Amino acid sequence: MSRTPTGARTKSAAEPLGLAFGLLLFAPIVLLGSEVGSWLRYPEIGSAVLYPPYALLTAALVLSPRRTWIWYAIVSSVAHFIASWPNWSISWILLADAANLARALIAAVLLRRAFRGQIRLESMDAIVRFVAIAVLLAPAAAATVGALNVVLHASTDQYWRTWTEWYMSNALTGLTLLPTLVLGVPLALRWRLVHANRARLAEAGLLIASFVVSGAVALLVPIGGRWHLALLLYMPVPALIWTALRFGTGAASLGLTAVTFAAIWGADRGTGLFLGASPDENVLVLQSFVVITTLPVLCIAGVSGARHGMLRLHRALLASLHDHVAILDARGVVLEINESWRRFAEGHHTTLFHQATVGDDFVGACRTSAENGDSGAALALAGVTRVLNREVGRFEMEYDDDQSHAHGRYALSVEALEHPDGGAVVTRADITARREAQMELEEQRLELSHLARVGALGQLSGAFAHELNQPLASISNNAEAARLLLRRKPADLSEIDEILGDILAADQRAAHVIRRLQALLKRGEARLQPIDAAELANDVLELARAELITRRITATAAIAPDLPLVLADRIQLQQVLLNLILNACEAMRFTVVAERRVSLSLAADTSGNLRFSVRDCGAGIEPALIDHLFEPFVTTKAEGLGLGLSISRTIISAHGGRLWAENNEERGATVHCLLPAAPTVARTSADQQPSRPNGLYSADVLPVEAGAQ
Amino acid sequence: MMASTRVSVAIVDDEESVRVGMRRLCNALGFAAVAYGSGLEFIDSLDAGGARPDCLLLDAHMPDMTGLEVQQNLVARSARFPTIVYTADDAPEAQARHLAAGAADYLRKPIGGDELLAAIDRALAAHALAPLMRRA
Repeated sequence: MSRTPTGARTKSAAEPLGLAFGLLLFAPIVLLGSEVGSWLRYPEIGSAVLYPPYALLTAALVLSPRRTWIWYAIVSSVAHFIASWPNWSISWILLADAANLARALIAAVLLRRAFRGQIRLESMDAIVRFVAIAVLLAPAAAATVGALNVVLHASTDQYWRTWTEWYMSNALTGLTLLPTLVLGVPLALRWRLVHANRARLAEAGLLIASFVVSGAVALLVPIGGRWHLALLLYMPVPALIWTALRFGTGAASLGLTAVTFAAIWGADRGTGLFLGASPDENVLVLQSFVVITTLPVLCIAGVSGARHGMLRLHRALLASLHDHVAILDARGVVLEINESWRRFAEGHHTTLFHQATVGDDFVGACRTSAENGDSGAALALAGVTRVLNREVGRFEMEYDDDQSHAHGRYALSVEALEHPDGGAVVTRADITARREAQMELEEQRLELSHLARVGALGQLSGAFAHELNQPLASISNNAEAARLLLRRKPADLSEIDEILGDILAADQRAAHVIRRLQALLKRGEARLQPIDAAELANDVLELARAELITRRITATAAIAPDLPLVLADRIQLQQVLLNLILNACEAMRFTVVAERRVSLSLAADTSGNLRFSVRDCGAGIEPALIDHLFEPFVTTKAEGLGLGLSISRTIISAHGGRLWAENNEERGATVHCLLPAAPTVARTSADQQPSRPNGLYSADVLPVEAGAQ
Repeated sequence: MMASTRVSVAIVDDEESVRVGMRRLCNALGFAAVAYGSGLEFIDSLDAGGARPDCLLLDAHMPDMTGLEVQQNLVARSARFPTIVYTADDAPEAQARHLAAGAADYLRKPIGGDELLAAIDRALAAHALAPLMRRA
């Protein structure tokens, strides 16, 4: 057999050596196999009980590259000739060899097609495929030709009996020796056995011993026709099932092959149970016994292999997860953890709830940590208890590890196990880096939106000067008037008093303008608070009033009653609205004065969220641009960076809302904004997660850990 | 100062606090001042046969009808009194536009009492001289 694994198509320098090595190994074995085939005959029976050359050639073909097949076929034919000549005629030998080659070819081609890559018999499906090809199809095809050969050479005229003999010996080979070779040889060539641990080797030794004892007792002890001792036939079964469960299909096949050889040997030397009838019947009974034993053992091995494979897969999956995963039973005891969890638990943690490992009571650990003042553990305790009690299916929380020096932030989720016994899967992710990145991003976003706001206010500087000049003018006029009035004799003190009142009012107004400007210019942290959108809209319109007058634009506002409050940063929301109004103004630069209108509308949508729209009567948005309008540096204006709308959308998204634009049916365009209504009722259940803003404010303000109270 | 009959001044400003302050200052300076909240209100009062002022103090920056539009309207109806435009803006092109439209003067807020008095005197004098200049 070749060293080259099945299916390898690469041509390496070592290959001729591999082929030479394979043939060197194959030639004596196949010669021996042919001889053994001859030995394994009952006297007066034309065909062997078991026919090793079938398994040997098929295994060689399955395990070696296709272009080397011809050499194995030649060696096999020569061996067959040596074993048969001069007992049989040349024509018999040639036809029998043709049948042998055809059988191995059919089996090898179909097996390689059915099992891409290495053959593994670790599922029922694989076993069914293997049996169909190597036990049913290929032996049946060979038996059809082989039986014809025997009948043609007139040693018998019973075609179907001969067919059955051929078929049974090959089927038996396909069930026992073939899987042993196909599964065992690649393993042996890779010296896998050497790596087995001591306990496993000891178990294998024990198994071999039990095979020897049970095989000897069942098949090699003379029982002298006492049929009640037929029970002895069950002796090897426990060892076979043990092998199937613990060592897989290959080892089970090896055990079955050994049992088969022992049975044949016993029959040959007149021991065992297969002696009672004519030689033909004895052989058939022996073969049937082995076939009937083999099928369930192979199935057990296959199913067990599939289960082990599944378990390996699950372990690998668990191990590959970066998040820390622990599986709890219904009482909260840790059944299994993955590598990430283990490493984390072994790290330097002062809190018990982070140290829990297999066999520990996770709920108890949470309780102890919570009692020691760990707020994260207290939240986790509440959540895990609810999931284990099946009150909720899933629980999620984020917490800071304030107990250790690492000051990490973690996301913990607990998911109920779909299992009759209950239990849960706890997953913990270290989100410290993510949170830092988020905070950095938020910082940059704040910076950018501040710059944009300053830019927008720069655009309004004329309007602000006007706003401030009005009260100053009023103060100045009133003060001058008062001074002149004071010079009169007698001075009209009541009018002067009135004037002073007006001066104070104008002063207040100037201060108000300055405060508003200051608030917009300030670079502050975002602060979410419930906002009355109607009031905010009026504020912004007031802010833009002077600019609207200068641009000769009429602004109207349709504000529906009972608007929902929204949870937002006042300044940022003002900025968005101001930006949208200024954009609308800019869009109407070339519109005739009579038609310059900005319409603001605020209403609740069907799901109770706030929807506001700013509509202009400008030229509208170019269709090619409408999808890119909110991307940075996309602008329709001659001046300006094109950041306003992009920043507006970022702000609205961070508030969990949506901002989009569309052209009006008549003229101009409308920009719409949808903002979620502020939650009014405090949630009490963790599995009813709020539709919280997906932005960056959520951690500080919204009760992410809701439900843990 | 002027003769025994007081010079009448009309003020048009949409901003109430400015309007009231301006009226008080003009009265204190000895003018008989009447104030209007918009250009339209003033023109309506002229059309209704209301008193024609000796001088008009006009805010440039107003909604609906801007200062410039009031000026143009007055020119169209050959109103015979000088107009002083005042504003909080300091755009030079706005000043040029208003002067070209026939404004006697263009002042920037806030306006001091002396400044206002001088401007009104100058405007009235120029207005009184105008027929002579045309005859010459």
